[in-house]
Amino acid sequence: MKQKTADRYRLLFIALVSAIYIFPFLWMVSNSFMSDKHIFSVPPKFIGDLLFTPQMFDNYKNVITQYNFGRYTFNSIWVFTLAAVGQVVVCSLAGFALSVMHFRGRNLIFSLLVITLMIPVQVTIIPEYYLFLKLGWLDTYLPLIIPSFLAGAFGTFMLKEFFSQVPRALFDAGIIDGVNAYQMFLRIYLPQSSSPSATLFIIAFMNNWNDLLRPMLYISSRKLYTVTVALSQFQGQYEVRWNLLLAGSVLSVLPLIIVFAFSQRYIIESTMSSGIKG
Amino acid sequence: MRQSSLRWHSKVTPWVFILPTVIGLFVFKLLPIVSALYLSFTEWSLLGSPHFIKLDNYRELLASDVFLRIVRNTVQFSLVYVIGSMAIGLALAVLINVKIRGIAFFRAAIYLPVVTSAVAVGIVWNWMLGPTYGVINIFIEAIGLTPPYWLADMKLALNTVAVVQVWKMSGYYMIIFLAGLQNINRDVLDSARVDGANAMQSFFRITVPMLKSTIFFILTITIIDSFKNFELIFAMTKGGPQNASNTLVYDVYLNAFVYYRVGYASAIAYVLFVIVGLMTIFNFYIRRHTVESLD
Amino acid sequence: MKKRLAVLAVILLIVGTLFAAGTKDAKADGAPITLEWWTWDPIMMEQNQQIIAAFERDNPGVKINNTIVGTTDYWTKIRIQANQNKLPDVFTMSSGYVEEWAKEGLLYNLDSFVKSDDTFDLFYKSIFDTNKEISNSDSYYAIPFALVTTVLYYNKDAFDAAGLAYPNDSWTWDEFRSAAKKLTIDKNGDGKIDQWGYWFYGRYAHIEPWIFANGGYLIDRSTMRFSPDKNAMAAMKMLTDLVLVDKSAPAPKDMSAFQQQDVFPQGVAAMWVDGSWFVDTFRKNVGDDIRWGITRVPSGPNGSNTLTYGWPDSYALAPNTKHPEMAWKFARYVAGEGIGLDTYMAGKIPSAKKLATDPLFSDPNQQPGKDMDLLIEQAAGPMTTSYSMGWSEWRGYGGSEALGLNGTIDAIVNSLMSFDEAFKKSTDSINAVLKRYYK
Repeated sequence: MKQKTADRYRLLFIALVSAIYIFPFLWMVSNSFMSDKHIFSVPPKFIGDLLFTPQMFDNYKNVITQYNFGRYTFNSIWVFTLAAVGQVVVCSLAGFALSVMHFRGRNLIFSLLVITLMIPVQVTIIPEYYLFLKLGWLDTYLPLIIPSFLAGAFGTFMLKEFFSQVPRALFDAGIIDGVNAYQMFLRIYLPQSSSPSATLFIIAFMNNWNDLLRPMLYISSRKLYTVTVALSQFQGQYEVRWNLLLAGSVLSVLPLIIVFAFSQRYIIESTMSSGIKG
Repeated sequence: MRQSSLRWHSKVTPWVFILPTVIGLFVFKLLPIVSALYLSFTEWSLLGSPHFIKLDNYRELLASDVFLRIVRNTVQFSLVYVIGSMAIGLALAVLINVKIRGIAFFRAAIYLPVVTSAVAVGIVWNWMLGPTYGVINIFIEAIGLTPPYWLADMKLALNTVAVVQVWKMSGYYMIIFLAGLQNINRDVLDSARVDGANAMQSFFRITVPMLKSTIFFILTITIIDSFKNFELIFAMTKGGPQNASNTLVYDVYLNAFVYYRVGYASAIAYVLFVIVGLMTIFNFYIRRHTVESLD
Repeated sequence: MKKRLAVLAVILLIVGTLFAAGTKDAKADGAPITLEWWTWDPIMMEQNQQIIAAFERDNPGVKINNTIVGTTDYWTKIRIQANQNKLPDVFTMSSGYVEEWAKEGLLYNLDSFVKSDDTFDLFYKSIFDTNKEISNSDSYYAIPFALVTTVLYYNKDAFDAAGLAYPNDSWTWDEFRSAAKKLTIDKNGDGKIDQWGYWFYGRYAHIEPWIFANGGYLIDRSTMRFSPDKNAMAAMKMLTDLVLVDKSAPAPKDMSAFQQQDVFPQGVAAMWVDGSWFVDTFRKNVGDDIRWGITRVPSGPNGSNTLTYGWPDSYALAPNTKHPEMAWKFARYVAGEGIGLDTYMAGKIPSAKKLATDPLFSDPNQQPGKDMDLLIEQAAGPMTTSYSMGWSEWRGYGGSEALGLNGTIDAIVNSLMSFDEAFKKSTDSINAVLKRYYK
């Protein structure tokens, strides 16, 4: 009985906390149903003035049809799913090697990876741009995908930490069974990692999705735009089309929430079957 | 304990695993970083080629008291962010780590700001923190206190932006802490409960030590993330008032993309790099002495 | 199961790479001339396409590729193009950078065209000359397509309610200050001002017009140093006094919840000075909610408001363009020859005579009606600016808005620094910037 009330209080507290997190988003959604001139009115208007009128979805319709948001969303989904998959693959491989295997240069490579995490993107972006210019990759998706299929400092770091925590007993069992490195990876370690892999997938997907700088610099053709570049279209030289920008922002969050919801399953599932419980 | 003589695989195999990473590391990360270091010794407006000017950029930096101010701001922002994010991230993870129906909804709600663009977050908070009509100040006035100028007061601006950034990103650290919590062996917790330990005791004596690796990991990434505050500063204060909320990353942006002093911007970035590097090395040092590694 | 995932991943990778690499725009086959045209206003996307379609119809065999780069990244990208000697054939150039680019030889010298063809019959030479002056050079390097000026916007309803006569060209600063005080009203008696007489912050378009209307200057052009004369200081003192002494304008820190361009249309300020292009925004957002008009910024005691703060936006040609004649033809076309008034933001003054003289420019059916004639008068008269190299750094603009002179003036009116203290500090830092560009 005590546990149930404790649970209820807990739920109430969680609801309160979530309200703090969800309120600004609700403001965004509400204002996406507002016509341009009322959005920043003071005193503030909370309820969109277009709600429940025939023009209710005008901002959204506008954004999707006139500004081709559907196409750009598709672009973003495709490109960044690919990049996120690449990250999971590459970082699992590297994380495994760095945590469990022995080779010269292991510490050096890991230290270098961590070092690359520290430099803010604003610094390296110009040399990076030149590199892609020389490679002829400008105005394609290659700069947004290929690097993700090669190295991922954050992901490797995360998976290395995770693999280091896999119980020694599993490792020893593998050795006793005489597995080679690939089997150790594929049959023993990788299955354990569905939780951090899913987490890495979300993080890689989300970081890429919200990145404006790289797609903005590397892509010029309109049909290749990603969602963030498309959103920046609403910011003209002299004015910002807030109503469209907010509607677009709401639309751009939805796929991320779906990805998050979908991968939550892997995160919350207890992956802790110790494997050697008798 | 490392047993280098007990290699359980061929010499070549690790390289197969790590080859893509090595290629990517050198071509797409180290090459630009080294180029940027070279650029920090030059003067370059992007028009024409870089002129080599040796240490002049660094000399200018060290002689500037605005720069000193910016370094102080950066460290301050970082402290608020790291401490705030870790504490709140962990607290949220523990809070949310229950199997109640509908918990997934709340998890998503807390994660929502993480995936919302910094521009939108900046706009909304700017509005909520408005001096007269912002909801926060309306509330403060209603309970009888004088509402402050959150973003226009030189003493408050930096911390305000830092708090908004913590708010925005706490869902992110929450899910990583959650992944760590999920991996804690339930058996140990159950037997502790049977032995009569209460929630607080089992949290601090069992959960936290078992989370050490996760905590170390999150400490490292919060330190690194704490310096990535460009977008929010741009959306909320643009470094003002009078550099009160200007940080190294924002200053790099200003110098590289507004003033077109790419060489000087690279020098600023390298100072930032040194600071972050020192903090991370310090972090690793702590780890070596508190967390047992697998091998 | 794992094997299938691995295979899937490999397939995705291959497909993805093909998809990623093969999506470049196919060049039109058989088009002998393709021109690259770069602009920076994403909101003009559709209009640009219409313009291109019309030009291509009239010029078969020519294809135009319009690349629009968002305002924040336009300059970075185009500088990199310049660095690579791959500038687009026609690209937008702003008054803030034309001096630097002309100096570096990155703009095609247009003298050979304008001095021999009918450009000055079709376009206002005075606007070209303003451009030349700003570029600090002896040749014409850009073709202006629009001029923008600064004007005083005033809320007619507010003036009527206060029983005041509307501002006019011969207003003095005293009359202005007195009107501002009378127009500062607490409508519902709750102790909070609901309508301010005037509103500004350190923004270039808010401050400079008053300085120039008082015959002052910020930069001493003979030494290229920041050295505002006493007329300029008097203008800035008058403005800061509005906030600190008269209390007829709010401190910027109290207005942080507003978007700057919403203050006037929402009736929170009865008067406002900024660029003429806001006519467009107001027509769209204000409609007839308030009645408003425009007039010249009042003349100061030592100057005349016939000197306008205005500047052109222009197009430039790449110095190494492969098709200079066609590029020039297209540049003239988009600068006014081939476009209609509807592709202009209302309030921007076309440099093409036929557009500026179009009766619809001062459309009596849209606010501010006949007041729009003022803009044509301003365009025909003398103009000046405070532009120099390094302007965005010392003036404070866009990402650096909180700093530079913009930030300094804000600090004064936000009571963070006294007037004299602020100017002493900022003179040194502004000159440090100018020294870098002008030894």
